[in-house]
Amino acid sequence: MLDAWKRHLRNLRGRRIWLPAVAAACVAAFLIWIAGNDAVVGGFQRGLARITGGILNLLGHRTVVTGTTVSSEAFGITVVTACTGLFTTGLFLIAVIAFPTGWTSKLIGVGLGIGGIFLLNVVRLVSLYYIGVHLPGLLDPAHQLVWQSVLIVFAVALWLLWAGRWTRAPKEA
Amino acid sequence: MRRRKLETGPIAPGWTRLVLRFVVVFLVVTALLTGVWTFVVPGYTAAVTGLARPLFRWVESPNASVLEARGAEVWIYRIVGPGEIAPFTWFDRYTFFAVIPLLALLVATPGLGWSRRLARIGGSIGALLLVHAGYLVASVELSYAAIGLTPVGPFLARTLDLWQVGVRVLWEAAPVAIWILLTFGSWRRVLRRARDERRRESLSVEAIGANG
Repeated sequence: MLDAWKRHLRNLRGRRIWLPAVAAACVAAFLIWIAGNDAVVGGFQRGLARITGGILNLLGHRTVVTGTTVSSEAFGITVVTACTGLFTTGLFLIAVIAFPTGWTSKLIGVGLGIGGIFLLNVVRLVSLYYIGVHLPGLLDPAHQLVWQSVLIVFAVALWLLWAGRWTRAPKEA
Repeated sequence: MRRRKLETGPIAPGWTRLVLRFVVVFLVVTALLTGVWTFVVPGYTAAVTGLARPLFRWVESPNASVLEARGAEVWIYRIVGPGEIAPFTWFDRYTFFAVIPLLALLVATPGLGWSRRLARIGGSIGALLLVHAGYLVASVELSYAAIGLTPVGPFLARTLDLWQVGVRVLWEAAPVAIWILLTFGSWRRVLRRARDERRRESLSVEAIGANG
């Protein structure tokens, strides 16, 4: 029994899977710490609100950003922690770091995940503002049902594309 | 000892198409199930509430919470005196929506036969029911602790925010985590097949190059 465990551990050491696993666990712990840190999350929320307000103003809306709230005479949205995409990004990063591939590939994955999910999240906030102005009855379903599903499938598809295109396939030689 | 050689690049020309098909099936199934959800959610909410009641009795001593499934919502009441209860909080009709993306992910996953797929769908709904019941219990108990209704130790008091965030993360991540656990083998097979295909293609290109 002990020998079997030793063999198993040797096998794991040989495959070096412990390093990505530890790194993924560190990322998870770091993200939970960030999510519980009001100063960091608050800064991120305010930044997102400013970007959303800026884009809406470029599109011709007269919005004002106050803290984490983007508002106009027509409608207002508040960016809360769940709206930051932090959890989705975190899960994506954990999946990238835990995947057995080279660190360059992982860096590409991290960049893709952070950039892609951030951009989609900004699109989500802008679209929710539009829905709130023009179709207020659909705001809740769009916020809770549609965008939640779209974010999930976007993150999963992005990960699959990364895993298929940018990772290095181990090959016995 | 054999050394591992690494190769880079797209693993198979059909990979992007496969991912796109996965996304399209997911979106179509999500749209269809969202229409059905309104009719199903009261039953699911009642099931989660029924599962959560014994969990509340198990973690509370004496029992302090009363649960009521009200259509698509769950209402939590707190026992404030003999035969007296007061509303404490409620969970809205979107709390359990993760069932839909989870089912859509399972339907869209390639490389699963229908019997395996149905077995995984059954297992995943069971697992998500447990997660949702646990989420109700954990979030209510942490709320009691946060406003001082339940005395907690110094460690828990210091880390209460982190526990609340952790519970929220688990709740959000549950559908994807369950899906990964149940379909990991299938994706591994699909990836391996795509990589084999790519190797075969590169070998045949090399062979043509050597001959021609």
